[in-house]
Amino acid sequence: MKKKVGVYICHCGGNISDYVDVEKVRQSVESINGVYLAKTTMFACADSNQKDMVEDIREQNLDGVVVAACSPKLHLLTFRAVVERAGMNKYNFVHANIREQVSWAHSDNKTGATEKAIQIVKAAIAKVQNSEALEPVKVQATKAVAVIGAGVAGMRAAIELAEAGSEVYLIERSFFVGGRIAQWDNICGTEETGKELVTRLYDEVIKHKHVTLFTGAEVIENRGSVGNFMLKVKVTPRYFKLPCSDGKLQEAIDVCPVIVPDEFNFNITSRKAIYHNYPSEYPQLPAIDMENCTRCGKCENVCSSIDFTQKTEYLNLKVGSVLLATGYDPYEPKKGEFAYGEIDHVVTLPQFKRIVHYCDEKLSYKGKDIKHIAYIYCVGSRQVDGENKYCSRYCCTVNIHTAITVKKKYKNIYNYHFNRGIRTYGKQEVWYDESSRLGDIYLQSFDNDPPVVEKRGDKILVKIKDVLTTDKQLEVVADLVVLVTGMVPRKDNSIGNLLKIPKGRDNFFNEIHMKLRPVETVIDGVTIAGASQGPKNVMESVNSALAAATKSFSLVDSGELALEPTVAEVDEQTCEWCGKCDEACPFNAFEKVEIEGKLIARVNPVVCKGCGMCLPVCPVNALNLIGLTDKDVENMISALIPND
Amino acid sequence: MPGQMKILEYDVLVIGGGIAGGESALNLANLGYNVLLVEKELSIGGKMILLSKVFPTLDCGACITTPKISEIARHPNITIFTGAEIRIITKKGEHLFEAIVSQNPRYVNIDDCTGCQLCEEACPVSVIDEYQYGLVGRKAAYIPFSIASPRAAAIDIENCTLCGACERVCPTQCIDFTQTVEEFLVKVKSVVVATGFELFDPLKIPRYGYDKFKNVTTAMHMERQLSPTRPFNSILRPGDGKLPDNIAYVLCAGSRDKSVGNPICSQVCCMYSIKQAQLLMGALPMADVTIYYLHIRAFGKGFNEFYAQSQDMGVEFIKGKIGKITEKENGNLILRYEDIEKGKVTEAEHDMVVLSIGLLPNQGISDVFDNETLQLDPFHFVDQSDILASPAKTSIEGVFVAGTASGPMDIPDSILSGGAASAETTSYLRRAAL
Repeated sequence: MKKKVGVYICHCGGNISDYVDVEKVRQSVESINGVYLAKTTMFACADSNQKDMVEDIREQNLDGVVVAACSPKLHLLTFRAVVERAGMNKYNFVHANIREQVSWAHSDNKTGATEKAIQIVKAAIAKVQNSEALEPVKVQATKAVAVIGAGVAGMRAAIELAEAGSEVYLIERSFFVGGRIAQWDNICGTEETGKELVTRLYDEVIKHKHVTLFTGAEVIENRGSVGNFMLKVKVTPRYFKLPCSDGKLQEAIDVCPVIVPDEFNFNITSRKAIYHNYPSEYPQLPAIDMENCTRCGKCENVCSSIDFTQKTEYLNLKVGSVLLATGYDPYEPKKGEFAYGEIDHVVTLPQFKRIVHYCDEKLSYKGKDIKHIAYIYCVGSRQVDGENKYCSRYCCTVNIHTAITVKKKYKNIYNYHFNRGIRTYGKQEVWYDESSRLGDIYLQSFDNDPPVVEKRGDKILVKIKDVLTTDKQLEVVADLVVLVTGMVPRKDNSIGNLLKIPKGRDNFFNEIHMKLRPVETVIDGVTIAGASQGPKNVMESVNSALAAATKSFSLVDSGELALEPTVAEVDEQTCEWCGKCDEACPFNAFEKVEIEGKLIARVNPVVCKGCGMCLPVCPVNALNLIGLTDKDVENMISALIPND
Repeated sequence: MPGQMKILEYDVLVIGGGIAGGESALNLANLGYNVLLVEKELSIGGKMILLSKVFPTLDCGACITTPKISEIARHPNITIFTGAEIRIITKKGEHLFEAIVSQNPRYVNIDDCTGCQLCEEACPVSVIDEYQYGLVGRKAAYIPFSIASPRAAAIDIENCTLCGACERVCPTQCIDFTQTVEEFLVKVKSVVVATGFELFDPLKIPRYGYDKFKNVTTAMHMERQLSPTRPFNSILRPGDGKLPDNIAYVLCAGSRDKSVGNPICSQVCCMYSIKQAQLLMGALPMADVTIYYLHIRAFGKGFNEFYAQSQDMGVEFIKGKIGKITEKENGNLILRYEDIEKGKVTEAEHDMVVLSIGLLPNQGISDVFDNETLQLDPFHFVDQSDILASPAKTSIEGVFVAGTASGPMDIPDSILSGGAASAETTSYLRRAAL
């Protein structure tokens, strides 16, 4: 039992003290046996209070500390660091949450909130009185990072990590690098095309001796954790070997009898089973798509570079950190959504950008000349009825920029923007301004009354009730309707599932804290970058990629990592392996081992997160959580029940 | 005279101790680089430390800023100069910059000051408190604000009468009127520009009556009234101290407006106004809040949902640009505007008007570069020379930009940008080492 516990109760500048009588809380706990001092403070986390705490601990020789403040998610680490600076073992600190769990939850009942806060602080004191000094689990970190996804964010992160001095494995699932950016022509803000940007980054990736690029590669297994992720990577062969002469290659493509929709062009064109997305694409070696190849052998007859003997390879990589830059999928409208899939000349923005790419002199699609273009915004974003409540952020600007490009590239183009309030934030406003000056027409619909696309004869009509002209019902005859589709999370979440990355309510990967730790995830050692975390434009993706690279690098660069010792432990005497703990564990932290002829469970303390899922399922009570024992919980419950 | 200046050497000079500069400094320091952080104000923390709660999570700004600030202040690899300015930066060669930094006298020895505030009580001079944006007064001997870092007193010598009262009561004798401007020659390998933004001056739009009509205020004033370190512990309208019950927000005040020389969108005003509206509904449950807008730019993660939440809470949104504000005898204000959805010019009465002022570049940083040009963009923000692949790069090799110095952005974006600047700096420094 500790004799000299210090208790600090935070006002949080009113966040707590507006609803909880913090002075009353202080008075209620100051005379508890073992509490040596109890203070209130305006901001427990402020530097001045941190200094006071350090002084108190040192001068009064405190042996335990409780801070009653915000959620431990925010400041557990802050206060652990404070007590550590004062020379105390950080596991003799207990954090009591009286903000998220009390003042914010019970702002309607001050008396009740104060009583609840008192109980919670009492429970925390009961816990700290039996707390033990613990030492962190030490792990040697591998100085290597796996970057998943070789789009603009992934490539940029890989270059930065290598420059900083880490070994980098850049793992791309498709056969070519560049991700979505390779599919765009000129990018707004610069004169550079997506392909040029990809080329520039690819050149740097390739020349860097510390980056190893794998294409056609997928992580299929992980048996490790922070500091030492053991990734199993499946590399699908492209069935091509160097050298590959251009002439023969084209011949091989020509003879291939298989024709499939070309995803690179969002299915507006088709490709062969032997393919590259565009001639200068990287790596400059085509691939054979075995899902569609009929193995007819015609290509092999004309091109000696084709090698059907290549086998799928499996690699094992050991890395200290994983950086996810897996990007997004463009929203795919449902059949009938604004007549998509029902009227031929209704396309999505990504498709439209590819159409513009292929039309040089004049804009035409499916045999029809295009002059009048209707753009319908927020398709798949800001849905009133659907699940996507979020704004996709990039689409307003990119669409307006595309509309300007079209107007400048071809003659007699008329642009009609059916929007829901244009969001060209920041400097992007200049594109909105330019398009307005070029004579583009903006029509704004009411949120719950979207425009309607219908066919009348051979004409496409777009009808809208327009906010800007006071509710007037307007009609535009359009040659082409472009659905300005937003970003959605990747449909295939296999890597997210594999690494157990949580998702936000928008279903993109979730960061720990938007402002404090925007590129880190709750899975230690896994960082997130680019649009995998939420819609972003190129600059924003790169900023987040560089920020994530910094975090991943500082992790692997530190050499030795100190991990939480608050993990499960097995009582070897009691355990009779039944496997229930292993089934319950979300992190695969258990293994079955044989000790003196007896099978028992063993916990890998590096993998275990101390979540406690295994404890209640053990039929013989052989498991214990270090730092939160049954005894601790019983003591806390006793303190929580008010004495009669 | 350079010959007599004290010479200091660091790996990186970070200019600006706001949240972006702080993030850069902290990342670099954690990788083992020595950083000098120069802040012109008396405390680090920039604008963010003065904010109330922050969107869209409604975390309290202070709760997020103070621990970061404290980490920066304590870091063994970071040296901080507050109340200091960069006079000139000369690029002497690859990986070598020389800066002259002048430390303005605080007239208080920071290391000895305990922050006891006895000097503040003793000081007889009262002046306007700039950290509370003029809402209240402060003394000439003062601690900038309660969560300032360093939490040490300073003497505002322009207003000080040299009466000596503070000196007499100071228990640690840390007040020193003999301090003068001290200049340092700082040699660094790389520079991070994180000079932040300035707020639009609402006097530039006379038709909104700021300063003429007492109940026309700015969002930053409201931010201070809503913040945990607020001066009044309530929301009061400035004219007469009445609790307002019908508050109007005027968006795009000084943004998207060529007539005041700022054609671009400030990126944060929609969201901070929506946030303040939500906080006001908590602080003044009976009050009505109306937001007059052109387009609501709720584009970031969780922003649109936050906007929808405010609509559900009963915040009224009216699409229309405010043409003119006039004052009634009782201090209430008449807003004349075009109601776009109704298609007519109309008027509305409110008892308090908050101008959602925009973000402007903090000009002057380009002038300190001596022999190289720090390029600015058309809006006078620091130009990003490779905006797609290296957003932190500037026109000068070895000088990187973080946060709102390169354009308007919100806190999450500023922090990411700070992270990007530190990454670019790291690889630049690595090249120096090779």
